[in-house]
Amino acid sequence: MTWKKRFLRVTHLLFIILLLVQLLPDRSTKEVFTGKLVTFATGVEVVTLLASFIIKKPQSLSLLLDIVGFVYVLLTVWSLATAKYNVLNDMLFPAPGKVINQFVEDRQKILINIRSSVGITIQGFLLAAVTAIPLGLFIGWSARVGGAATYITKFFSSIPPIVYIPYGIALLPTFRSVSVFVIFLATFWPVFAGTMSGVLGVDKKIIDSAKVLNVSKPEMLFSVILPASLQQIFLGCNQGLSVSFILLTSAEMIGARDGMGYYVKYYSDFGDYTRTITGLLVIGFVVIAVTFLFNKLQNYLLRWKR
Amino acid sequence: MSTSNTAVANKIEIKNLTVNYTENRKSFNALNDVSFGVGRGEFVSVIGASGCGKSTLLSVLEGLYSPAGGTVQIDGKELHGTGTERGVVFQHYSLFPWMTTRKNIEFGIKQARHGVKRSERTRIADEFLHKVGLDGFGSKYPSQLSGGMQQRAAIARALAMDTEILLMDEPFSAIDAKNRVVLQELLLSLWEGDGKEERKTVVFVTHDIDEAILLSDKIVVLTAHPGTVNEIVQVPFERPRNRSALVGTEEYGKFRNRLLGLLYNDIRERIGGDEVVL
Repeated sequence: MTWKKRFLRVTHLLFIILLLVQLLPDRSTKEVFTGKLVTFATGVEVVTLLASFIIKKPQSLSLLLDIVGFVYVLLTVWSLATAKYNVLNDMLFPAPGKVINQFVEDRQKILINIRSSVGITIQGFLLAAVTAIPLGLFIGWSARVGGAATYITKFFSSIPPIVYIPYGIALLPTFRSVSVFVIFLATFWPVFAGTMSGVLGVDKKIIDSAKVLNVSKPEMLFSVILPASLQQIFLGCNQGLSVSFILLTSAEMIGARDGMGYYVKYYSDFGDYTRTITGLLVIGFVVIAVTFLFNKLQNYLLRWKR
Repeated sequence: MSTSNTAVANKIEIKNLTVNYTENRKSFNALNDVSFGVGRGEFVSVIGASGCGKSTLLSVLEGLYSPAGGTVQIDGKELHGTGTERGVVFQHYSLFPWMTTRKNIEFGIKQARHGVKRSERTRIADEFLHKVGLDGFGSKYPSQLSGGMQQRAAIARALAMDTEILLMDEPFSAIDAKNRVVLQELLLSLWEGDGKEERKTVVFVTHDIDEAILLSDKIVVLTAHPGTVNEIVQVPFERPRNRSALVGTEEYGKFRNRLLGLLYNDIRERIGGDEVVL
């Protein structure tokens, strides 16, 4: 890439516009933390410029610049509508600087809540994966012709997992264990169904190929059928993961004392919408980060596919 | 108990083999009363039009399919199920797509040759990758290789397993014509070897007459519906063979026509006319 293509981009113009807009006088009655917004945007710009040095593929650079550009436009419009012209209710719509300030102030608290939410999700998810995958492999393999298990799975997975919550609360002692239980149920069925359909879909030629090598039964299940159905298993896992987040945050809004759902619900009850919006954005980032890491894992384990 | 009429016992003895297939609740006779022997170190091809049951015959030898009648004996012992004394090369998916070529070969060695250490398996795998001309491709996945290279790796695995018997089910049928010739010659030179080691016993299924002639000591011609042995023909050409020296000769042409006739008659009888052109 030429120097011009690397650094002479619209995104940087958008950054300058964002800074210029910040020079306008604040008209909001509340404190708007314009300085925090400028610091944040400058930070993003510095990181973007550094990345522009490193990134090799033109498409990747354009993607990054487009996303960053969108963020600048959003921040510009948002600060114009709130801090600068005050056209929105400043109780319900905090200025961007305020949200950034809130995030920095609450970072300790937010971190604890993220840890709680992500911890529960991982625990429930792993519990489901280590039970559903071997079970799906075993049942799918021993009943390669019969479809009974498929129908049973269809029945159980058609129950929206959220309705288990009241029963889970009656059944289990702590909120944490209820959450893990519900996430386990929500993830178990899609992973189990994915594994089964993966096993049933394994090419007969691959199975023949393994048979003529005289593989043992455990080897057949874990060294042949498991990798051969891995793509379907991941499909189930992805489904389970996205349901888990919806479920957990809903559960946290009902009866938790920790977690990001709790954070959002708690502060909106007090009318603290700055924290509510901070919480929403944090949840978005956390979900994206977890899904990103999970996709990385998936791509790594399926690297042998073309 | 004698297992064979001949003085030297055959490595593989197929006697009165009958195989029925059930498809959509209809049962049909895929192979009927098929008998032939494969000598130790002999290369035997089975040819026939599609649907003559040649692949079914090989699945029985692989141990993947049980016959309705008759027996298959290996070294005088009746065959039951799969076994790693037989190396197999299929047309597709001989290799596991999630393992690198080297891992695939190592896995085959682990299954067939118990007690070979891990480091030794890697060494053997690389040795056979070299033999089939795949140096430097050990860490590639099958999906990163061309069809021809995949079959090279499959052959490398079968040979690295060092089994006495090799079963090959149309291994080159999905390969383009140019590469097919290269692979045939590779297989020929690997199998013929330098004469010091004992040759492997091979059963090779194909529908390509030239391939069968170039490679085989003996060709079993099957007739379809149901699959029966039409004729067993000895290939009269000296080894080591050379394609370019062989193909132009008059004997080759005559022999090829004879085989073609065996296949052609069969097809003409079935269709009931002589307008068929091959």
